[in-house]
Amino acid sequence: MPLVSQSVVPRDITDEFTVAASKLKTGQLVKDEYFTLFEAVGALEIMDSKMDSGYLGPGENHAQALEDDYDMTRELAPEEVLGVMDGLLCHEMGWHMGHPLSQTLFTSLYLDKLLWPVPKTLDEAHFLRGHTANTTEEPAMVHLVLRAYCMALVKCCDFVHARVATEYYFEEEDFVTQLYNRSLLSQFEPQSFYDLLNRAISWVDEQRGKVDEAVREAIRTRLLFRREFLLALEQDVDVIQTRSKEHFLFCLSHLDDLTKSTSLGKDVPDSFSLKIQRKLASTVPPRPMVNINFDDALAHLKRLCQDAVDLQEIIDYRGPYNLKVTIWTLLSRKPQPSVYIRSLVQTLIVNNMTILGAVPVKDFLYDELAELVLPSSILLQANMDEIELPSDPRFQIAKMMDVFVKRLSQPFVDTFRSACLNRCRIRRTVCHTIADWDNLQMEAKDLDEQLRTLSNEPPLMLANGDATYSYPLSSWAYHHKLNQFRLILQLGFELSVYAPEELPGMYWYLSHICSTHLGHIDRIRTFTVGTAKRNITEMATKKRGALERHAALQKSLRLLERLTTQIVAVDAFAISLHALYVLLARHRVLPTASGAQAYSSDRLRYELRMKPFLQITLPELVPYDEYHREATLEGDSDETVLERATKAISEARKAWEATLANGPFMQDSGGEEKPAPAIEEDWKRDAKDTMRACIGASIAIETVKKALKGNASSAQSQDSANVSVNLRVSIPETGTKARWHDWWVVPQVSQVTVGSKT
Amino acid sequence: MDENKAVQYLDSLIGRTLRVHATDTRIFVGTFKCTDAARNIILASTYEYRFPSPSAVRDAATGTEDPAAASAVDAQNIKVNMTSRFIGLVVVPGQHITKIELEETPRQIRAREALKK
Repeated sequence: MPLVSQSVVPRDITDEFTVAASKLKTGQLVKDEYFTLFEAVGALEIMDSKMDSGYLGPGENHAQALEDDYDMTRELAPEEVLGVMDGLLCHEMGWHMGHPLSQTLFTSLYLDKLLWPVPKTLDEAHFLRGHTANTTEEPAMVHLVLRAYCMALVKCCDFVHARVATEYYFEEEDFVTQLYNRSLLSQFEPQSFYDLLNRAISWVDEQRGKVDEAVREAIRTRLLFRREFLLALEQDVDVIQTRSKEHFLFCLSHLDDLTKSTSLGKDVPDSFSLKIQRKLASTVPPRPMVNINFDDALAHLKRLCQDAVDLQEIIDYRGPYNLKVTIWTLLSRKPQPSVYIRSLVQTLIVNNMTILGAVPVKDFLYDELAELVLPSSILLQANMDEIELPSDPRFQIAKMMDVFVKRLSQPFVDTFRSACLNRCRIRRTVCHTIADWDNLQMEAKDLDEQLRTLSNEPPLMLANGDATYSYPLSSWAYHHKLNQFRLILQLGFELSVYAPEELPGMYWYLSHICSTHLGHIDRIRTFTVGTAKRNITEMATKKRGALERHAALQKSLRLLERLTTQIVAVDAFAISLHALYVLLARHRVLPTASGAQAYSSDRLRYELRMKPFLQITLPELVPYDEYHREATLEGDSDETVLERATKAISEARKAWEATLANGPFMQDSGGEEKPAPAIEEDWKRDAKDTMRACIGASIAIETVKKALKGNASSAQSQDSANVSVNLRVSIPETGTKARWHDWWVVPQVSQVTVGSKT
Repeated sequence: MDENKAVQYLDSLIGRTLRVHATDTRIFVGTFKCTDAARNIILASTYEYRFPSPSAVRDAATGTEDPAAASAVDAQNIKVNMTSRFIGLVVVPGQHITKIELEETPRQIRAREALKK
């Protein structure tokens, strides 16, 4: 058989096709059997200006379709170079904020010239590509200075792109990684970019006296800034080793200079064009250019640098509890740290099964278990490397613990990593993982039962004579699940998920979860105290290791105490707000989101809110009727409810004060100096904001009390619920000043003096 | 051609690579997915081809080295590649279509001609 070339030949089938298509009935389709109408909706319509990025308007001739009239060879005044640099910086930050490159940096004709066609060498990436070169001398301001700035900027983007793309993020929600078939000069070594910048800087230095000094200095500052920014981004995860903040600090210290000198620049709007979208490989309709103003861009940049500096406080490992506090505090900053920072934190948390580049995941999980449920336990000490006799219980324990570690490491580390998502996604993710934790708890319970016989755990005798065991692993899993319950609810308040009419119920539910959690911590404590008691007798007999065991047990008890204080604080505040909202709802002054005709009802809303918890076995779902009774405080008089609110809020204030006094971190016995000053500052501010919210709530409660008293004395009515109270209630939105804390929706209650009924 | 034959013919083209020329001279090359009575054509995994701009032709003629155009100067004839980019799933409305071509391999041509006989 002869070899045939597989080169394709086009054959004109216009006529056959047209005739065949004309025979079809209106509405009749000939299609690929797997091609659905749903897919068809996503097709871009060619020749439609809104859909087709390659479409040419009636005025545009073909020559102008791709070519811009902008002259790449033109000389730019120093002011214009400055203007282009700042324009690019705004677009760069626009991209960091989540806009696609096609609408930001890739609208720059200068960048386009450098990046397309993809350069094979660094020298190939210059502004005069495709032009008859070497005829005139190249103006250095553009071809040395601006080029160096542009090249380094692209390399900066390359580092950011690489980091974000390797971690969890949400495309088009947090960030757009689409490069439209271009490359961000990733194949070139960073060193060449520093060389370019350094050459540009020394050239600018030589221009002293030839160029307006203020403008010259402004350009120089931008080149210096770019060099440091590139160094900082190149450092990336190596920060674990270098511990260097200097580059980001340098950037921070020069941002003010950038702000001051930007007004010296002159925009060159022609050097940015949307026409480039016609050349980008893109499956989306054409979209407008995004214009971020310089102040917003700088504000974003400043936050980025500051967060990057402060995130170093995460790196020193001081146990899982402290790590969680630092991560949560840093990532709860407002505005939320940018996607680059969040991606970097994800990598720092865990990379190659190692936490913070230093602690193996297994040790991390063991530290956590030791902190909470298994201080100085044989379960964590059993080691297969030392005991090789399969019949030895320690060997079997080690084997089973390995199973546990394999199963739990990932979900446990993910409870840290999930904090790096955007706030909505954190809640959504936790809503999903909570079901996994329910299963993990069940599995851990089986392991607990087997381990108990191997370790000869002595039972604890209850008052009624029953024996009970500690179930450490499942206890630990349950503790985490309850944390997640609380997080889902509190993020619900933060994200304005709940309508005002749901607030009484949701705060009741929060307090319900808290009291369940407190009970559970008490149970853990009981067993730890039991172990500690036995250990004291061992200490008396000077048994080996008893002193270390004592220290570990005490540390664990301190942590349990700390957790108790925190949860009591949340619980009390929730109880108080619940009672306050019950009163507001009873007297019909609580605003509602749904109209009177709405299809929604309390029962339906409750069903919806409980959806993530439906499949959870423990804690059990509260049936609607019971929930309704509890949430409305059925049967309690206004006075009782008021007293409940007042009592609870004063308890909450005390508990929050205690929490604040405890500080953010578990101290090691060493009592070292403040290890994370910036994070600690943030954490304290957060606690203080919560206390402000407490004070706001007490004021609201007092106002309601006064109004109800006034009502009772003036109306003397039997049915107080039918008498309208003269109160105006507004619910401050997240992010407004009156909302002291995102997690605490404290209503603003004020008395209405005019137009009161007689 | 009756309706059955027409449907059969169009069906035979499904999944094949078509070159659809549009009124503005662009050419869309992609996998044929769907059509209807108005001759609207849906193509998947489409590339858009555009004739080179006059300036690219000029540069090629004057012999400037431009790796993008991959130009080759040849006495009077110059060759400049069309520019292309990936645009994915598109629908080309019937009224904007000027020409439809089917890409065939020599083997397919032979098979078609064998069938005719």
